Amino acid sequence: MPQQIKRLVTAFAVFILMFLVLQQVLKPNSFGKLGHYRAMAIQENEARELHYAGSARCTKCHDEMHTDKAAGFHAQLQCEVCHGPGLKHVLYADKFKDGKLPDSLKLHKPDTRKECAICHQLNAARIKIVFDTVNNSMIKQVNALKHNLVDKHTKEELKCIECHNPHQP
Amino acid sequence: MVQHIQDLYEVLSKVDGYVYPNEIELNWSILIVLYPYITGLVAGAFILASLERIFNLHVLRPTYGIALLTALSFMLVATMPLISHLGKPFRAYEIMITPHLTSAMAIFGFVYLWYLMVVLLLEIWFDYRRDMVVWAGETKGLKRFLYKVLSLWTTDISPKAVALDKKLGYIVTVIGVPSAFLLHGYVGFIFGSIKANPWWSTVLMPVIFLFSAIVSGIALVMLVYIVLTRIRKLSIDMACLDMIASYLFYILIMDFVLEGLDQIHRIYEAEESFEVLHNLVFGRLFFTLFIMQGLFGTVIPLLTLGTLQFYKPKALIRKGIYLVVSVLILVGIFFMRWNVVIGGQLFSKSFYGYTTFKIGLIGTEGYLMAAVWLIVPFLILSFLLWLLPPWKKHEDDPDVQVN
Ligand code: HEC
Ligand code: HEC
Ligand code: HEC
Ligand code: HEC
Repeated sequence: MPQQIKRLVTAFAVFILMFLVLQQVLKPNSFGKLGHYRAMAIQENEARELHYAGSARCTKCHDEMHTDKAAGFHAQLQCEVCHGPGLKHVLYADKFKDGKLPDSLKLHKPDTRKECAICHQLNAARIKIVFDTVNNSMIKQVNALKHNLVDKHTKEELKCIECHNPHQP
Repeated sequence: MVQHIQDLYEVLSKVDGYVYPNEIELNWSILIVLYPYITGLVAGAFILASLERIFNLHVLRPTYGIALLTALSFMLVATMPLISHLGKPFRAYEIMITPHLTSAMAIFGFVYLWYLMVVLLLEIWFDYRRDMVVWAGETKGLKRFLYKVLSLWTTDISPKAVALDKKLGYIVTVIGVPSAFLLHGYVGFIFGSIKANPWWSTVLMPVIFLFSAIVSGIALVMLVYIVLTRIRKLSIDMACLDMIASYLFYILIMDFVLEGLDQIHRIYEAEESFEVLHNLVFGRLFFTLFIMQGLFGTVIPLLTLGTLQFYKPKALIRKGIYLVVSVLILVGIFFMRWNVVIGGQLFSKSFYGYTTFKIGLIGTEGYLMAAVWLIVPFLILSFLLWLLPPWKKHEDDPDVQVN
């Protein structure tokens, strides 16, 4: 065999061998146990901090909001869409006897015009598409800068929730 | 908790219409633009080198070595944008030691290894082996050691051994051309096969990627050749340059036609996604698609190179034109990748909305990071040109002048 071929074959053999050794040494322990991935990845993801609790867990203490909401147009919305992530609130809210929660556990009350407008603001780019395919309803749009902006008598700016119950608009 | 409302507002200010939550942020950013760009440069430069070798085009001889080394320097960096995009530097090597045979993404490992180890390195090795042995005898110290290691301590430079090198090198080149097609066709396939994305999903994608790759690779070699002769204060071989330019012209035409075909097809089919793509192209992609890719990257080079086919001004002027055209093409192809990668993520799969792409200067996905991966190949290339200067190679046919 010519010299250069011999050397090349050796070099490739060394390379492949090195790869196999490195693979054995470096491959994560849990790799391949459950499939072509690190089985540990599941635990790692499980261990990540949770933030949201889900609407179902709010019912335990805020029954009336739930029944209100279920009967209205906002039935499909999650509580935390408006109130923000509430897992800590769910876990610790009943530890305070008089119902006075520390600020860190309080949830946001989205009572400004701006906050309703996140979903309802008139937006030409948002063509009117069906939101709820079961009831064939749409997300109604209003111009938050005009729609009942001020009180006719007092001339003060009105909040949306002064006329619409957020839980049952 | 008010924070989350503020975050929501900030996010919503980036979108128009209805966008699914996971589409607001672009997951594939500038580094993923670089990846097909760099691989394309590799494939293109290599194909130019192979043209010389397989079809025995002696005019192209001065760029043969440069093209090979350019391909190698970019190849060595080709995976880096991907790996830095993954953002887990301490785990990134894991994708390389856990090969997967049916995942389209993971196949890159095989395609890359095949092309780097079996094609590029082997071809360069056979091409330089004799010279490395000779140089090892002429130099001292570290350089000598490097030559010894790189030539794998071979010593045989008898005519018979050198003839064998040539023959094997030729075989590798012949295997190399389809491999280069495979390499970049594969990158196009990655995008073309995503059927959920109407901007990407077209069977023409691998072919378009391939031709744009050849265009960019040839432009790069042309640029490197012009700059290099300038630095080395040599007179440039105009016949070679003219030849490269005419290849560039023909392949640019094909690239242009293919991309045009793809668009015509899309317009004629006018599928349900057409509206959203139409707005995308005339809205958020207008500048990068029509101005950068279309006008500067395609139409101007096409017209200039086309004119030069019939009318030849003085050598100096032609050289200047080639320099500008090659830069324009390189920029144009970069934006072609940009339009594919970024464009494909700017609209919602609901077809009812758009998001915006914001990119920072610093950070792991910023401009600086991208600049690094574009500069490093040139550093590698300078090193390779210092170590393996093609112009110092010992040639056997005396009638071919190598500068
Ligand atoms: C363990 C019982 C409990 C659960 C479960 C619970 N809360 Fe509360 N929540 C309370 C208590 C106690 C208060 C404070 C008393 C009050 O102001 O009425 C409160 C107050 C609130 C307030 C008003 C805060 C304020 O500053 O006035 C909001 C909004 C709220 N909860 C939303 C939610 C949401 C959304 C969920 C589900 C993610 C939830 N709660 C789940 C017990 C609970
Ligand atoms: C559309 C947004 C929205 C959704 C969805 C929503 N809320 Fe509210 N919620 C509000 C607003 C706005 C207020 C403040 C009302 C006020 O200040 O009078 C509020 C107030 C509250 C309060 C405090 C009541 C009070 O009298 O202080 C509680 C408790 C509450 N919400 C619980 C819930 C629960 C439980 C759900 C899910 C079943 C829910 N909310 C869903 C917007 C929403
Ligand atoms: C997260 C998005 C969201 C937010 C925030 C939100 N809404 Fe809605 N709202 C909806 C959706 C979705 C519907 C339509 C549900 C349907 O028709 O099935 C709706 C329906 C309504 C309707 C009924 C319109 C009709 O069909 O006549 C009113 C009124 C309304 N919302 C008022 C409000 C007010 C006031 C607020 C602020 C407290 C608010 N919404 C905040 C999503 C939102
Ligand atoms: C003065 C009381 C008042 C205030 C304040 C008010 N609304 Fe209304 N809103 C109404 C009444 C009454 C209607 C039903 C008649 C109509 O369609 O105009 C209505 C209708 C709506 C509808 C349904 C529109 C449709 O096309 O059917 C939406 C959505 C809505 N309001 C959202 C809001 C939002 C968001 C705000 C705050 C920016 C707000 N409203 C403030 C009284 C009010």
